[in-house]
Amino acid sequence: MAQLPLDGVRVLDLSQVFAGPTCTRILAELGADVIKVEARQRLDVPRNLIMTDNDIGDQPWNRACYFAVHNAGKRGLTLDLTVEQGRDLFRRLIPQSDVLVESFTPRVMAAFGLDYEAVCKLRPDIIMLSMSGYGQAGPYRDWSAYGMGLEPASGISATTGYRDGPPIRSGFAFTDPLTGVLAAGAVLAALHYRQRTGRGQYIDLSQHEGAIALVGAALMDYQMNGRLAERMGNRSSWAAPQGCYRCRGDDDWLVISIENDEEWATFCRATGHPEWAEDERFADVLARHENHDALDALIEGWTREQDHYEAFHLLQRAGVKAGPVLNGKKLLLDPHFRERHHFDLVDHPVLGRRPVHRHLAARFDRFEPRVDRAAPLLGQHNREVLQGILGLSDEELTSLETEGVIGTTPLLELPPELTLEMLQELLQQLLLPLEQMQEMGAVQAVEPDYRQQLGLDETAGG
Amino acid sequence: MTDAALSDLRVVDLTQDVAGPYCTKLLADYGAEVIKIEPPGGDMSRRLGPFPEDLPHAEKSGLFLHLNTNKKSVTLDVATASGAVILKKLLARADVLVESYPPGRMDEWGIGYEQLRGDFPQLIYTSITSFGQTGPYRDYRANSLIALAMSSIMYTTGEPDREPLATGGEPAGYFAGLQAFVGILAALSYRQQNGAGQQVDVSLVESVAAADEYNAAMYAYLGAIRRRFYSRQVFGYPMDILPSQDGHVVVIPGAWGFPLPILEGASLMSLLLEDLELDQNPLFRKMHERYIRWRELDELLLPWLTTHSSRQIVETAQELRMPFALVPTAADLLEDKHLEERAFFVEIKHPGGVKLRHPGAPVQMSETPLRSGPAPTLGQDNEAILGEAGYNLEDLGILRDRGVI
Repeated sequence: MAQLPLDGVRVLDLSQVFAGPTCTRILAELGADVIKVEARQRLDVPRNLIMTDNDIGDQPWNRACYFAVHNAGKRGLTLDLTVEQGRDLFRRLIPQSDVLVESFTPRVMAAFGLDYEAVCKLRPDIIMLSMSGYGQAGPYRDWSAYGMGLEPASGISATTGYRDGPPIRSGFAFTDPLTGVLAAGAVLAALHYRQRTGRGQYIDLSQHEGAIALVGAALMDYQMNGRLAERMGNRSSWAAPQGCYRCRGDDDWLVISIENDEEWATFCRATGHPEWAEDERFADVLARHENHDALDALIEGWTREQDHYEAFHLLQRAGVKAGPVLNGKKLLLDPHFRERHHFDLVDHPVLGRRPVHRHLAARFDRFEPRVDRAAPLLGQHNREVLQGILGLSDEELTSLETEGVIGTTPLLELPPELTLEMLQELLQQLLLPLEQMQEMGAVQAVEPDYRQQLGLDETAGG
Repeated sequence: MTDAALSDLRVVDLTQDVAGPYCTKLLADYGAEVIKIEPPGGDMSRRLGPFPEDLPHAEKSGLFLHLNTNKKSVTLDVATASGAVILKKLLARADVLVESYPPGRMDEWGIGYEQLRGDFPQLIYTSITSFGQTGPYRDYRANSLIALAMSSIMYTTGEPDREPLATGGEPAGYFAGLQAFVGILAALSYRQQNGAGQQVDVSLVESVAAADEYNAAMYAYLGAIRRRFYSRQVFGYPMDILPSQDGHVVVIPGAWGFPLPILEGASLMSLLLEDLELDQNPLFRKMHERYIRWRELDELLLPWLTTHSSRQIVETAQELRMPFALVPTAADLLEDKHLEERAFFVEIKHPGGVKLRHPGAPVQMSETPLRSGPAPTLGQDNEAILGEAGYNLEDLGILRDRGVI
């Protein structure tokens, strides 16, 4: 196997949830040794999110698919940084590391005595990346942030929504992966600079600011014309007709985008409706913007009779931009994504063989940035890391385990009056009410034979 | 004097539209010398708005100026044999080439990866396309809407009884630009160790699909197909945009907002809403009830939310350590006190005559701050760059007359 660009680079990863783990996931795909550090007293939140087979099993903290997807390729170490013993071990790891990534609010690392100044003393050329919600300075610096809030806060949601409706968020916390990729780029740029000069540095990434470039055109329009971009549904000022149209099948949809006269003529021919091309209401670009509603009705009349994948191929082969609206299952099964290895298969000690998608969406001809390792179980690599990197003895490790500084189970401080019933209730919250979600329309289907459909068992052990 | 992280790099940029230019804008902002090669008519985004007073002008497109800061501009028709010769001269001193033509187009012009790799073994040849250089859809075309549709994000965005909804602002190009930026730096890192350049293949569609949070995982780990339900996260409600007295706010109680058996005292949400009785309400006590009976929960929240301003709500919630957020428009962002104190927006006076406040550096680097120079006018660096490549003024006159530059 060819060498990877970040072979030999070690990353200490204190980041949590989605944005930071996306950054370190990309570094892992590129070959870095990423050590994900969690406290047994405070697990990464996604260890609670979306249990595999909606079953908590006997180790719920190792069953969350949310965690499994974004932390593949990393090693897992438990350390409690709120106690001196944990901090001491962490401080000893710093000189052995090239990059430190964290996503706490600014006061946390300072409270641990692990701000850049302190870290730098231990490893002068370290690259330290802080990626808090709102950055290290300014009036909102202490604001806590989830991706669900940062997408709207960056101005994106003001222009997302149906034409007659309120602002709406995207179906996933959009700015998290965006700033995760941005952060990976910043680390790579800093490594490039270090290679050249021997100097490390501190990077302050405000996730809020990192996403504002996406509303660049709206910012410029407001400054130039005092105009605020409106919510346009699926339409665009650069194409008409453009929309999302219902197809044959259960909740199947096709998006179509037509920019110019030529594409319009092609579309009319391809759909078997040459008469639309003759219709005065749609004769030119402006007319098609003007009479968009009427156009939508005609187009949907056609798409309703079509299979969305077949219509996609028909239109694209004719030269019209179109695409089926894929759900999670269709994304996994799509031949194009398959052929280009969008998903890697990893063997997870508890969950078995599972796909995890690549977080770096670039293909190279001299190396393949993939992960071979499933996300770590809690504390899975405690011994490997502390022995391998710090040279701790078996006795020292055993004593750390006995004292609870490291371990492979969570240590929750539960109040003494907690009853079994209350505990059951807490655990119940880790499951999704899938049946009701299906009734409500939040889940389209639950398919118990999904492993077969994905061919996961065929490749088991292969 | 501070250095820039990528000041040792030279990039030849053949891209247009959003993805490629955003990628090379990042390279340029990080200090690389980016030579933007435009067809003699200019990058197509010079023709896309917004324009001051809606009057189209090649030097005044807000989108173009936003995406092309810190670059140099050379006009060159690389589709002509003479243009391709000049391009190769420029590549002799370049580390990176970035292009965004449909697969095969560069080969037709004699400047495809396979044709150039022999002469330029160290070149990082970057291609940003709709679907990538391989695979059954390689010759299909996409834009932001199509990339959103095929990434699964759109299926989970919007209202349950309406059509799937695209995220606003045509974001796919930005994702692809970022992915290409990372890909280029990864290839440079590889080259540092192994000496060899290579092709970097980035697609619009995969770039958005790589951002998936758990749509594919819900199926691959549970067999569940997640669907749009007001774009809600599956693991709890509310984490959503709700109305306030003067607009909207994002209500996110976080892990500790509602009562939990392991928490003592009043919950953060009941403190926020100034009604401690709410802690006894089953909707406050049971997460799944909140998700399923969300309309009833809204009725408990809305009276307070709609009688308080967005800022009051968010500031109070944040004092209680709940990650609520504002829902600003472009105008609100330009006036935001936090961004102002961080000096995020930078005013740039462009040589084409427009002065604008631009979103500033997306990261603050202590040793190598990013740059914030203007976008170039069309062909402004023809003489300097082509002169350096060995063409004198007479040559340039001839090339101009023939439409090559």
